[in-house]
Amino acid sequence: MKLRILVADDHEIVRRGLCALLQKHEGWEVCGEASDGRQAIEMAKQLKPDVVILDIGMPNLNGLDTTRQLLQYDPHFKIVVLTITDADQVIREALDAGARGFVLKSDASRDLVSAVEALQSKRMFFTPRVNDLVLRGFLDKGHAVSRNEPPDLPVLTAREREVTQLLAEGKSSKEVASLLNLSTKTVETHRSNIMRKLSLHSIRDLVVYAIKNNIIQIQMPFQTSSTTESTVV
Amino acid sequence: MAVRILLVDDHPVVLQGLRTLLDGRSQLEVVGEASDGIEAVEKVMALRPDVVVLDITMPRMNGIDACRMIQQKAPGREVLFVTQHDSPQMMREALAAGARGYVVKSNLARDLVEAVEAVSQHREFTALARNP
Repeated sequence: MKLRILVADDHEIVRRGLCALLQKHEGWEVCGEASDGRQAIEMAKQLKPDVVILDIGMPNLNGLDTTRQLLQYDPHFKIVVLTITDADQVIREALDAGARGFVLKSDASRDLVSAVEALQSKRMFFTPRVNDLVLRGFLDKGHAVSRNEPPDLPVLTAREREVTQLLAEGKSSKEVASLLNLSTKTVETHRSNIMRKLSLHSIRDLVVYAIKNNIIQIQMPFQTSSTTESTVV
Repeated sequence: MAVRILLVDDHPVVLQGLRTLLDGRSQLEVVGEASDGIEAVEKVMALRPDVVVLDITMPRMNGIDACRMIQQKAPGREVLFVTQHDSPQMMREALAAGARGYVVKSNLARDLVEAVEAVSQHREFTALARNP
């Protein structure tokens, strides 16, 4: 029987590349493609794939919260996260969320097949930097991963994190309500609770919190050699 | 004769995705790949492609600077930018650097083949996501 893989990334060109890479492997098939975390959850529940590959920086619901929700629904899901960075905090969150494969997007053409093979054999797959971090944590006799400072994330519930991401992406309370099938009043209550719990005073503060905690990702300003103007998208 | 294309992006998985969109079309031929601006200029000099499909944000040398250098060193090549920068300002800068086309990555499945064909015939092709 073929190994069935669900691929989730918001960029179609990346999904195409990932699918081409995976489908070269005999005995594997891509059973579905999703363009955000919310769609990935729906498809995973319906298709029951053997392996789920999730980009971390997706709109509407990021890959880390998607991982948390999927594993809460069914702890047997095998999840590989794709990321543009292997910064310590991202690694910690991915491991805490329950991902068992961690692949840098820039290395996906080299590492993704190995990562899926590892999960297929009930093993884990991490980049060398993740392995180092895990080992350091073990040697420090602390948690599985060493922690210099606790992340802010557990303060919020899963629903509040979803609302935080959508508000930080610029959606109005009404739009958030529509996306989450909630009343606008309920979203407003979540919003007040989030601001109170995190001691935030404006949407700007919320956006900064969301960026700092990897709930949303931003593109870095771009400069050419002939201009000092920058563009943030 | 097929249009000869050089693909340039720092993410191999994106290069793979670009190939899936172009492969199997007899009038288009991918002759090479590069992963940054400096390698792009070297490959242009060596392979003399008709069209360079160029990312903007890349290590060592970005696409805008690579485009300027390609125009200087190998005039006659057409440059098509494929980028995540959905920005009129960036598009103006890209065209000012000598590019003939500009498409955003979110629309590539729809736009790439048409854009390559257009710029290969020296026609301008631009499409931002916000103005599809």
